Amino acid sequence: MSPGGGNHFFKGAVFPTDNDSAFLLDVDRRGVPGRESMRRFRDEDEVDLLVVGCGAGGAVLAQRLARAGWRIIVLERGPFWDPDTDWVSDEEGSEHLYWTEKRIVGGEDPVELGKNNSGHGVGGSMIHFAGYAPRFHPSDFETRTRDGVGADWPISYWELKAHYERVERELPVAGQHWPWGDPHSYPHAPHPISGAAERAWVGARAHGVEMRVGPVAIANGVFGNRPHCIYRGFCLQGCKVNAKASPLVTHVPDAIEHGVEIRADSMAVRIELEGSGRVSGVTYVEVKTGRERFQRAAAVAVCGYSIESPRLLLHSTSKRFPHGLANTHDQVGRYVMVQGAPQVAGRFPELLRMYKAPPPEVSSEDFYETDPARGFARGFSIQTVSPLPIGWAEHVLADGHHGAALREYMRDYNHWAVLGSLCELLPLPDNRVTLAGENDQFGMPVARFDYTQCDNDRANIAFAKKTMHAIWETASAQDVLTIDRYAHLVGGCRMGSDSETSVIDSDHRVWDIPNLFVCDGSVMPTQGSANPALTIMALASRLAERLAANRVHAHGSTRARTTLASR
Amino acid sequence: MSPDFRHPHHLPKVRGDKGADPAELPRQRRGKTPQMHGRYPDYDCLEHLEHWDELTRKLVVNRVERVPELRYFGDDEAATLTAFCDVVLAQDAEPRIPVLAFIDQKFAEGRLDGYQYTDMPDDRETWRLVARGLDESARASGADSYAGVPGHRQVEIADAFAGGTLEGGVWEELNLKHAWGVVMRSVLASFYSHPWAWNEIGFGGPAYPRGYARLGIGLSEAWEGEEAVDVDPASDLEERGVE
Repeated sequence: MSPGGGNHFFKGAVFPTDNDSAFLLDVDRRGVPGRESMRRFRDEDEVDLLVVGCGAGGAVLAQRLARAGWRIIVLERGPFWDPDTDWVSDEEGSEHLYWTEKRIVGGEDPVELGKNNSGHGVGGSMIHFAGYAPRFHPSDFETRTRDGVGADWPISYWELKAHYERVERELPVAGQHWPWGDPHSYPHAPHPISGAAERAWVGARAHGVEMRVGPVAIANGVFGNRPHCIYRGFCLQGCKVNAKASPLVTHVPDAIEHGVEIRADSMAVRIELEGSGRVSGVTYVEVKTGRERFQRAAAVAVCGYSIESPRLLLHSTSKRFPHGLANTHDQVGRYVMVQGAPQVAGRFPELLRMYKAPPPEVSSEDFYETDPARGFARGFSIQTVSPLPIGWAEHVLADGHHGAALREYMRDYNHWAVLGSLCELLPLPDNRVTLAGENDQFGMPVARFDYTQCDNDRANIAFAKKTMHAIWETASAQDVLTIDRYAHLVGGCRMGSDSETSVIDSDHRVWDIPNLFVCDGSVMPTQGSANPALTIMALASRLAERLAANRVHAHGSTRARTTLASR
Repeated sequence: MSPDFRHPHHLPKVRGDKGADPAELPRQRRGKTPQMHGRYPDYDCLEHLEHWDELTRKLVVNRVERVPELRYFGDDEAATLTAFCDVVLAQDAEPRIPVLAFIDQKFAEGRLDGYQYTDMPDDRETWRLVARGLDESARASGADSYAGVPGHRQVEIADAFAGGTLEGGVWEELNLKHAWGVVMRSVLASFYSHPWAWNEIGFGGPAYPRGYARLGIGLSEAWEGEEAVDVDPASDLEERGVE
């Protein structure tokens, strides 16, 4: 069944011309080939670029620039995953995929970290992301001008558009033609959907809400040596199949092929500053031995995401930057955002078995833009989500049930379908990452993340919940259960037009330091109601293009890039 | 007649009370469920081990066959916390899933969840404080420990914990809402990662590398459990010769 119709052109036919990752993977094994023979640099080698963090930002940046001839090392705190030997098809057994070291959360509305939004290891948080890969809307880049809230980006949607298209081909993204924002189509056709998603879609249509299948970063059809999805439903536990996209399978193989060294199990603890005002490299700890090392580099890109990037900068103090690198104007760590992500479940007579098929299936952006009639600025998206048993138990608990009542709702698992919202919460200066008073095993202060909603945020979340309840009511749901939660992280090192209100410029360069860049989700000034992974990759793709074409000089204007690129 | 599960009458919010009545549920005929009742009486996910990858199979089977010895909690704490876990999971009869053993193992190995509230201690310490608090609340009823008070009183204390209304002693040191979240997070993860609980709720299990082919409303793989509908528990028991 296909209530929304769909486009079925070019199924599996469009292939990226400048990224061979899918062909470099092995047909019979899931691990990345070439790890053993990967190029190795010495600590004293001055590489062209040292990337900290091998997630959506760092991996794309490394892959692109390696193809342009740059000599690159990527430091990664976590392991170099092999899906065959490191991952299980199990919820509780997947906790090692998440950043589970201590972090302190505070504020009036503290945000749960760990499995909710924090990854580690080669591939980063996309290892356990659900797979939704929507673009931002053009409006997300100018919310201050349009709606009087948030901030304007120093770049527009149109500067990212070509990179969105390029990354969508690389992941690849499957879905129906997308009518919202800047309307566009996807390289792969939509996946079949589960009974739960079908139920949600029927309900939404009856309520007058448009939905579409996708967009999900899961190949649908032939894509190099990556197998087809088997619809087992464990996207959030790492894809053992290699069907779902993450940098581990979409960019790391090609990066290694072009000479990148991925140095896993390496925790960056300090970016070192030279007397000249340039950074000289990164001090890091080999996690397995505890040995501290220093890697020289002509330029450094921090790609550690919204908690770890600010933490590393704040911890890198010097005489010139006593409050942390790039923190002259007290901007590092500020404006960290999460999306309000309430979920409302509806109960139906039939067996829906929501554990089958990937958890992301159909979604709507009907409520994405500001509607003055709603009484708040900006909006939200609606997506089906399909919790596995532990996730479902947390949902039931949040609705206020334990004991016999909880057990009964759990026994009823297969009758439920779940809608989730992503509400655009606004960037606020006091929602920030700072250093806490205690240290981790490397002697580095742990991060503290304070978060408090504003009135606009509360109104947005309340309206989204009301909308989802109304959809289920129209669909004649027999009972509903609700959970309040958050999803995703962005901001903390935002890009802007001046050094007093931002951390980096439109070329991701840290103000005042010519050879230090930040390229991850932390750079976003606003977050829209879209899952951030695709936009992080598109930003990295854009930066890499500018660096490779010498439109941005990685080492400051005083030193010509051509001499390095020609080596 | 027993409930028809197509209708929602059995659901707690529809019934208007807290509990469903497990006595109305079918008894499990194949494999095990906690307390041997469930909605899928002829479904046992452990019959499908051969279809799971080796790593996952070992992990899941160990939860049944190799329950870890307690290393983190002391005996008194364990007695109190075991009673508490069974109350909040309504495990009122054998077989019970030994949830505390898995939580203890996690803490003994130093594994955390990746965040700690500013007004809370480390999760491991929170559990210890909760054990002390439960015993203190039990002593107000004249018993030595939480494990020693009558079942209905255990439920009342657990309900007060969930409702954030416990007072005095250790409870003053804790943000009750956060403490409830911290302990229940681990309790639910331990219980619903156990294959007996999957049998009870009709979850397909790991499904790797087999996967699923029949998606859509009302569709099932041939091997997925069928939900018992319209089973009269009285005649069901008679037919099977069970007292």
